[in-house]
Amino acid sequence: MQGNTMIKLESVTKVYELGRGATVIAAKDVSLEIGAGEFVAIVGRSGSGKTTVLNLAAGLTRPTAGRVTLDGIDLWRLTDKEQSRLRNQKIGFVFQFPSLLPTLTVLENVILPTTFGPRESRAAARARAADLLERIGLSDKINVYPRQLSAGQQQRVVIARSLINKPELLLADEPTSNLDEKTEMEIVGLFRELHATLGVTVVLVTHTRQLVSAGMRAIEMAEGRVAAPQLAIGGVPENGSRPVEYAKNGLSATVAGQSELSY
Amino acid sequence: MNFLQLAWKSISGNGLRSWVVALSALVVAAFALFGTLLLRGAATSLELAAERLGADIVVVPDGAQTEMEGALLMGHPASFWMPEENLQKLAAVPGVEAVSPQVYLATLVGAACCSASEMFMVAYDPQSDFTLRPWLEKTLPGGLAEGEVVGGDFISATEPNDGILVYGTTVRLTGNLEPTGSGLDQSLFFTMDTARQLAVSSWVNAEEPLIIPPDQVSAIMVKTTPGADVEKVAVEILRTVPGVFPVASADLFQSSRAQLKSLLNTVVIMMALLWPIAIALIGMVYLMAANERRRELGMLRALGATKRFIAQSLLTEASLLALCGAAVGIFVAVLAIYLFRRLIINSLGVPFLLPSPGSLALQIAIGLLLAMASVFLAALLPAIKVSRQDPAVAMRE
Repeated sequence: MQGNTMIKLESVTKVYELGRGATVIAAKDVSLEIGAGEFVAIVGRSGSGKTTVLNLAAGLTRPTAGRVTLDGIDLWRLTDKEQSRLRNQKIGFVFQFPSLLPTLTVLENVILPTTFGPRESRAAARARAADLLERIGLSDKINVYPRQLSAGQQQRVVIARSLINKPELLLADEPTSNLDEKTEMEIVGLFRELHATLGVTVVLVTHTRQLVSAGMRAIEMAEGRVAAPQLAIGGVPENGSRPVEYAKNGLSATVAGQSELSY
Repeated sequence: MNFLQLAWKSISGNGLRSWVVALSALVVAAFALFGTLLLRGAATSLELAAERLGADIVVVPDGAQTEMEGALLMGHPASFWMPEENLQKLAAVPGVEAVSPQVYLATLVGAACCSASEMFMVAYDPQSDFTLRPWLEKTLPGGLAEGEVVGGDFISATEPNDGILVYGTTVRLTGNLEPTGSGLDQSLFFTMDTARQLAVSSWVNAEEPLIIPPDQVSAIMVKTTPGADVEKVAVEILRTVPGVFPVASADLFQSSRAQLKSLLNTVVIMMALLWPIAIALIGMVYLMAANERRRELGMLRALGATKRFIAQSLLTEASLLALCGAAVGIFVAVLAIYLFRRLIINSLGVPFLLPSPGSLALQIAIGLLLAMASVFLAALLPAIKVSRQDPAVAMRE
């Protein structure tokens, strides 16, 4: 772990009510810490609670029990406005589903989060967005609509959007699940580069163990619990509970022609 | 990017939903405004017509009251007579201060002489008149000379020197009365002397002569003494003067008032049905849209939008659609009222006066507010519901 604690979940349980008295326990007594500047992968099977942990960490869902802090701030002691502001300024999101607004152009999508933040000039936001798009190799797509982009390009725009407010934390929920293998490699390479060049904390949820590579800490979830809080890449988990095989080779693919990323 | 721009982008990107909401607003606004304009136009017209007659009681031959109202309000052809001696009898009734006769000469239908398609000719006695006099005193202090006439609002001269050709004789139009929206707007007012001259010359100049039965009048305007109970005076007239029927000004145009009341009921019932249906329809559309957009709205929350922003954004979207729909609806309603005014008057059997610009602006504002309030109300619950949703749940499939 590096530096201060960015995310801390203490004995967090999340129970979803499905109606008619039916409930599902999505996270059960989860405790974990992610330090500032870490690159963490949360792995596990579908339904293991990975996304729930990510949502809890971002304050997108209220824990049924336990405490969630982000950079030392108890999320659920904040008002909706304060919490939203915190998310807007501190966190960049990359979702599993296509999350660009189809009615907005690429540039408008990238500057969308600035709508919810502190007032700033439209020109400044546009300049920053244009810069980000150039860095991820999409400067020629500024004025096109998402439907005119490939799935991989769309996800790169989402990444640019996640960086527009210079977040300290990047949360990515299965960001490559809809992409082909080559594009998947490119996107993960982009995350690695963001982590390396910007020093941003990255939490990547994935069910593809092959995406976990050297330099990442991997947390394994199973049945709503943390099964292994610190898996060694390609080795034995820190707690020695069970060995898990992960890809050893770093996925260092980067987007062709991009310049080095920096805020 | 501000939230107005976001709302507008969402509107333009969701064509069907936007059309349904805008059309609902259009229908509500158009119907509300059309109904209001119609009812207010008719009510104002009735009030003005009664006011223009300027009498506390109008006495007509027994059985002619409906015909009289049809003539005065709608300009329908009318011909009814009673002996002139009734003037003295009426003047003798306690509570009567003044009486003045009027003769309803003829209704020229399709007269080539004037701008009104129908022209109702009324002769009055300038010596005893108290109904036209207040207006004439203001605009024509000298009163009407022989061969001069005063027209209703729709009457205009067609001959040189303000002339109008009536029964082969050109009379001079000296002025027009304020509009009432009733048959009075198509009326031409003569003095008794001018009318008699016309009748004489019509035997030579006109294809058909104008016949005024001697010693007969059509109606007698009655002014009661200050403080007198008009209803009691009318009852006394009914009791003491045989063959006549007194209509108190408050009871004037009863059939039109009844027609107006039934029209009002129809409009109220239609609105009572239409309004909740429109609100329910818009509410349903927004509920569906909110469900469809759950993921998008959840995503916006993740990006930093507050609950308030989400609700405001949906309501802004709804309000913009309502504004556009209602504006078109209002335009359609006003256009329909202006274009089909005659058709409305004839088919509904009530007079109608177009509102003044100020009154029209007020009614437009009310129609706009009503439509926007309807859409706002309908979108409020879905907006609140979706804004309170757990973003994580909203983003889940």
